[in-house]
Amino acid sequence: MSFEPRILGILCNWCSYAGADLAGTSRIHYPPNIRVIRVMCSARVDPTFVVKALVSGADGVLICGCHPGDCHYSEGNYKTMRRIPLLKKVLTDLGVEDDRVRLEWISASEGQRFADIVKDMTERIRALGPSRISAELDVDPREK
Amino acid sequence: MESRECKIGVYICNCGTNIAKVVDCEAVREYISELPQVAIARTYKYMCSNPGQELIIQDIKEQGLDRVVVAACSPRMHERTFRAALQTAGLNPYMFEMANIREQCSWVHDDPQAATEKAKALTQAAVLRVAYHEALEQMMVDMCPNTLVIGAGIAGLTAALELADAGQKVYLLDKQDHLGGNLARVDLTAPYLDSARDLLTERITRVKTSDNIELLLNSRLQELKGYVGNFSATLVSVDSDDPEENKAQKIEVGNVIVCTGYKEFPAERVTHFGYGKLPNVITSFDFEKMLRAGRIECKDGEIPNYVAIIHCVGSRSPEYHGYCSRVCCMTALKYVHEIKSAIPSCYVSDLYIDMHAFGKGHEDFYRRTSEVKTMFLMFGKGDHPIIRSAGPKDDCQMLIEVNEQLSGEVIEIPADLVILMVGMEAREDATETARLVNISQDKDGWFIESHPKLDPVATTTDGIYIAGTCVAPKDIPDTVAQARAAAGRILAKIAKGKIAVDAIYAEINEDACSGCRICNELCPYSAIEFDDEKKRSHVLSVMCKACGACVAACPSGAIKGRHFTDQQMFAQIEGVLR
Repeated sequence: MSFEPRILGILCNWCSYAGADLAGTSRIHYPPNIRVIRVMCSARVDPTFVVKALVSGADGVLICGCHPGDCHYSEGNYKTMRRIPLLKKVLTDLGVEDDRVRLEWISASEGQRFADIVKDMTERIRALGPSRISAELDVDPREK
Repeated sequence: MESRECKIGVYICNCGTNIAKVVDCEAVREYISELPQVAIARTYKYMCSNPGQELIIQDIKEQGLDRVVVAACSPRMHERTFRAALQTAGLNPYMFEMANIREQCSWVHDDPQAATEKAKALTQAAVLRVAYHEALEQMMVDMCPNTLVIGAGIAGLTAALELADAGQKVYLLDKQDHLGGNLARVDLTAPYLDSARDLLTERITRVKTSDNIELLLNSRLQELKGYVGNFSATLVSVDSDDPEENKAQKIEVGNVIVCTGYKEFPAERVTHFGYGKLPNVITSFDFEKMLRAGRIECKDGEIPNYVAIIHCVGSRSPEYHGYCSRVCCMTALKYVHEIKSAIPSCYVSDLYIDMHAFGKGHEDFYRRTSEVKTMFLMFGKGDHPIIRSAGPKDDCQMLIEVNEQLSGEVIEIPADLVILMVGMEAREDATETARLVNISQDKDGWFIESHPKLDPVATTTDGIYIAGTCVAPKDIPDTVAQARAAAGRILAKIAKGKIAVDAIYAEINEDACSGCRICNELCPYSAIEFDDEKKRSHVLSVMCKACGACVAACPSGAIKGRHFTDQQMFAQIEGVLR
């Protein structure tokens, strides 16, 4: 059976989650590999959420927030913009491929953009193959 | 993670066939009922319907459920509905979680097997998350009865009067030096040919003489702080950029209505009609000016024998705006009547793509217009009539070539005056306005409603309402209806006196706080205070808007984001990936 990546999406409520909903109301199809959870602001994304996801068997993590300047909480996404690259640097040093963690800005009107990003990310991770993290940690995610 | 002792009811919605045609809801139910915390799992046709909600209420009462999960549409759609159902059943509304298996599953995937697996994962995540939910109490805060209305066009005037007539204080703000907005530029209105001036004059007089309305012309909003019921707005004059001489005025309001209107599509963007080059090609707004001045004439002062009206300039076009501007078709018919009554001998041609006569009385108006001998010519979408200057032998200024759709022939018609029906577009300052009041815009720049059908004048920011053509192109009756609806919503809130604010905010565990003060600077609302004596930070919960920036930043893990706790998020992450 071909490898189907499991991708966790962490989306801010006001822009990106609304954008993902718009993809739905517009019936714009994208691969079912992404599973989304919602935070009020991308600034709530604690780096440990990403680590937790990778340890729990995610092959990739997509974090989405409002475009710079559009944050519902005025500047939360600027914090995300600084935190996620730092986290990615640490993860890269630990051998996690760059494409596995991705930060994107998606507005409430960008349903198509959300679908395009999910499609692109699914393809990239499919090319990378399964994440070795949970296996190397000897954690079977299905066993919790 | 250990299983929590709880009794969760899970309800999987078919949404008619919206979900059920792709997701095997029964398979989701079977899977989810295996989870130890799940006491009961059901599928139902429409969970949001009264019988659907009743099902939840009854199970809570009879089975003693302590938490509920509904797998259905987006929580942005019905989270409030189901929270209210929990409350009716006597359960704390926060003991609830939704799994979005419609917008983010059945509507975007076509493989039933993959979609069903995803729906299982999303529902499971909601079950694991809700197990960690805590009962939260909402805070009641005072509702300031004053309202700020931004924009004094027909929407703003209407909303302001509605509130003022009910005895409430209104601040009516406009960047211009006069009242009336875009409607003040219009002569007659379709389809009853009432004068726009008449519609406005009565309102403007009442607004100017009302004791409850404070007019703030030549002014703009500079800053809006606070939250529903308790906003503080800073207003400045538009004339001066010098902060010294431009003294800002601060006002306290409980709600804001944004009625900033539209601007007309700039006809010069469409080069093929020669606007700006051919002297007698004018826009609908140029023509309104002529009508208001009382004389229809060509550039040289001659009375036109032939007038051509071209529809959909800048609208319904992939190059400019994809949407229909809604008012132009009827406005064009109105011009036919106005031209015919001013110059009975004038030949009027109306060049349209489709005649959109959707409103009350519009189809009759269309029929009456065709009875006054108007030449209607239909051109194709994606095509456009070609205008050229006439030769010396012709008895007209211009000739227009139309690839006429109904006859299938290329027809050439004379014109002395061409009126371009320019559509509506979002104002240039719409982005700035959206940011100031914290609302969103769609891809065309229009403000986004809380829900386009069910909650059309509210926005995603509590206490901020939108009405009229800043939301999308619309005619006067729809604009007035929205303005009154927004005012009505606000009056209902003012009548209650107090308002419940969301129980979701950050909390600092003072025992765990190291007093490092990292969070103090992070908070965009200055909601975190440092206690110099205790050397600990604490959150002013009323000020907190629950973004969670401080929660993620606290190096001691001392800050808890209520309803978005680490435990809840971890459980959800595990559930979605399992």
